[in-house]
Amino acid sequence: MVMAVKELGTLHSVGKGIPRLDADEKVRGLAQYADDLNVPGAWYGFVVRSPVAHGRLRGLKKDPGFDWSQVVVVTPEDIPGNNIVDLMGRDMPFIAHDVIQYLGEPVALVAAASRHLARVAGSHIRADIEELPPLLTLQDMVARYKEDPAQLHELASQTIRKGDTEKALSEADMVVEQEYSAGHQEQLYIEPQGMVAIPESDGTMFIHGSMQCPYYINPELCETLDIPPEKLRVKQSAVGGAFGGKEEFPTLLAGYCALLALKAKRPIKIIYDRNQDILYTTKRHPSWSRYRVGVMKDGTIHAIQTEFLLDGGAYTTLSPVVMYRGILHAAMGYRCENVAIDGHVYRTNTFPNGAFRGFGAPQALWAWESMIDELAEACGMTPHEFRLKNCLHQGDSTPTGGILRDSVGSPTVLEKTLERANFSEKLKQCSHGRRGEKKWYGIGLSFFAHGSGFTGDGEARIKAKVALDLEPGDDGKPVVNVRVSSTEMGQGTCTILPQVAADALSIDIRHTAYPMPDTFKVPDSGPTVASRTAMVVGSTIFSAGKKMKAELEAFVSAELFDGQPVVLEQDRFCGSYGDKEMSFEEAAAQYLSRKGSLRVYDQFKLPEFIKWNQKTFEGDAYPAYAWGCNVAELEVDTLTFEIRVTRVTSYWDIGRLLNPVLAKGQVEGGLVQALGYAMLEKIEIKNGKYDADRMQTYVIPTTLDIPEMDLHFVEFPYEHAQPGAKGVGEIPMDGLAPAIANALVQATGIRMRDLPITPEKLFQMMHEEKTA
Amino acid sequence: MNKVKRTWQINGEEHQTEIPPVRRFLDVLREDLGLKGTKEGCGEGECGACTVIVNGEAVLSCMLPAGQVPENAEVTTVEGLEKTPGGRLLQAAYAEKGAAQCGFCIPGMIVSSYAMLSRDPSADPARIREAHAGNICRCTGYEKIVEAIQSAAEQWPAGTKG
Ligand code: FES
Ligand code: FES
Repeated sequence: MVMAVKELGTLHSVGKGIPRLDADEKVRGLAQYADDLNVPGAWYGFVVRSPVAHGRLRGLKKDPGFDWSQVVVVTPEDIPGNNIVDLMGRDMPFIAHDVIQYLGEPVALVAAASRHLARVAGSHIRADIEELPPLLTLQDMVARYKEDPAQLHELASQTIRKGDTEKALSEADMVVEQEYSAGHQEQLYIEPQGMVAIPESDGTMFIHGSMQCPYYINPELCETLDIPPEKLRVKQSAVGGAFGGKEEFPTLLAGYCALLALKAKRPIKIIYDRNQDILYTTKRHPSWSRYRVGVMKDGTIHAIQTEFLLDGGAYTTLSPVVMYRGILHAAMGYRCENVAIDGHVYRTNTFPNGAFRGFGAPQALWAWESMIDELAEACGMTPHEFRLKNCLHQGDSTPTGGILRDSVGSPTVLEKTLERANFSEKLKQCSHGRRGEKKWYGIGLSFFAHGSGFTGDGEARIKAKVALDLEPGDDGKPVVNVRVSSTEMGQGTCTILPQVAADALSIDIRHTAYPMPDTFKVPDSGPTVASRTAMVVGSTIFSAGKKMKAELEAFVSAELFDGQPVVLEQDRFCGSYGDKEMSFEEAAAQYLSRKGSLRVYDQFKLPEFIKWNQKTFEGDAYPAYAWGCNVAELEVDTLTFEIRVTRVTSYWDIGRLLNPVLAKGQVEGGLVQALGYAMLEKIEIKNGKYDADRMQTYVIPTTLDIPEMDLHFVEFPYEHAQPGAKGVGEIPMDGLAPAIANALVQATGIRMRDLPITPEKLFQMMHEEKTA
Repeated sequence: MNKVKRTWQINGEEHQTEIPPVRRFLDVLREDLGLKGTKEGCGEGECGACTVIVNGEAVLSCMLPAGQVPENAEVTTVEGLEKTPGGRLLQAAYAEKGAAQCGFCIPGMIVSSYAMLSRDPSADPARIREAHAGNICRCTGYEKIVEAIQSAAEQWPAGTKG
């Protein structure tokens, strides 16, 4: 720790609320999103889709009366390489050729000079399909699971075992059993998916568009297009929100565009409209959890047994990893020596579910943090007493037996939130569904951790690579360009990484820049997911910056300052004899004119003591955890059952705050998305189709739905990855739903165990309770 | 299809167009006139990303047939804001307060702010929230947007339309 403080002594960008470096172009309307790219000669692509959810494709019929000469059509025979999307399981084709697994699965691609014509042409292609019975809903999936899991098609499974859970359950004073479920959530980034593929004369395919992970598309498309990675260039345009929705999906869109572009021999653009975007892109996995938890009379948690099921949709895609993160959070946060967790993902006939902020943790924590309140009640304790008694401390072991060595924000965030919200006092004022009141008041608590970075040894395998380039900028002045594949999608990458680079070098942030990632220019720093950018990529930039600093100091010493030792500090090179000084800008210009541009690479290394067994799920599941605590207060109108969350109080430990303004923005936005998940956002399947397919029917929070938010940070920097950030992207999504459900119990006496929590459900449950 | 001729003052500049009257005003702006700052988030009047000002009123350009934009109408899009003191104030406040994250809702949002403050330079958060209820933002949770508008309202140039 001492070392850390000393190292950080010279920082002056990190920790400041520097305005986003892309703010100017965004407030002026100049940022170029996919649909704003000017692509001369581009045609528009359209995907022809299966009208049924499950079946056997017998063939395609093209209307002979239509003039096909003005359009290009791609079917599986036109695919140069393998008709496989190279994601986990390798079970998804780009274009269906045999079995149809979901409604809307592509059966052909069409392109034409106008959007309209492409669409019209698409309507003249009919898929001849022999229908098979589909499995569409989580409810049906769970019913079959309970009856006999062998009836289901399992896409992935994993267990966690610690201690002897069956024995411990038999020893417990009480065993509490409960089930919870949650439905789909749509990312609903405001910029719909959009992509352009441009075939270049030298055989390069250039993919440009809205994406989170350029190095997913390359190499994933190479096999399908049958081109080597060096012939596939992928570049990010400005991204209008992603939240996981632009993690794995853009590979599909890039594939559709590229396949059409190959055949049409011209650029192809596909921009989804909102309806297509809701119907035919990934969503948060619907989930079901069942707990059996053994507690002792004194309130100790003695055994946790749980099953965690995800509705994977039609193909494997990223579902196994989403489930892994789910089970790793399903019993996290509290001390317990006997834990047995079983995670499963099963196939249903809907669009494959996928990445969404939190990545399985919000589903798991929705159930677990509701369960914690139910356990407290069973033990006759208050929600906060029970959590304070059982929560993990530094040195304790997690459900996978990993030790919380350092940077542990528990129990601090819990204690501080309770105090700030005046929780114990306000808990006494709750209404508990008392008759004769106009409004019922309730307050609820949730407490949780979120693993930073990839699960287990993921970071050790990926070895994130970064580069810093000192080169002439557009204005001819020297600039340090941050070269990473980590994308800016609203969360702040384009600002925090230059902040870190500037501080590592000890230069003014105005000498740094973040150009949009382009796989022809940036090394693979891994995908922009898993709250890993600040911690993993940030720390690697930090050490690259230190290397560049040393290199420049050596240059200035040898070539400009007659060999005297030199330090670069606060934007100036200073000779140790005290007689020579030069600004960074001047010295860097000298470097460029004498030696040309300078590139410095670095690579992330996991600390050696991080040990993980990917088979048994034992050891350190994550290098570090961020911690959070929410207190939600709400009012229920006793006539209409309208539920209004009035206030959220929370503390967060996300390690070192790189930029407090951006971090707070992440928390505010994440909490509001979590509020939507908890109370508003709902997709059901009616007559085989999603019932919400537009923004009018898929409703997310507006300015009028926002509670008062009282948000605070406490910093427990992660000292093994300077400057010590642990990531903030996902954790705000994790814990609001259970805090609201817990508050609703205090307000009404009703425990809601299925998301979203709506007035209709509350009304129904109160009615049932009365008649029971 | 029949076309109609229109002359509009867009961001203070005269534009002459000949357009099918049912063409969406959003497409006229983005595709015919190259003003790509205005965004399409839903195309169905629900998100507000396509908001522009026509003769002082904030309107959803995705729902507006171009033929209904009157002759000689004064139109302000996000690109025009920096030509006005109020617009510059709002842009600076949005940037400084961290009101833009992904930025996709921002052209519509900030145009709504400009329309509101031009009529009612109020810093009352409830009124600000009301005036922006039709602008959906998925990133920010709206807090910093409201803060930015408040801060611009406090400095709003008195007696001007911005
Ligand atoms: S694009 Fe016009 S309201 Fe959404
Ligand atoms: S900033 Fe992304 S939608 Fe508002």
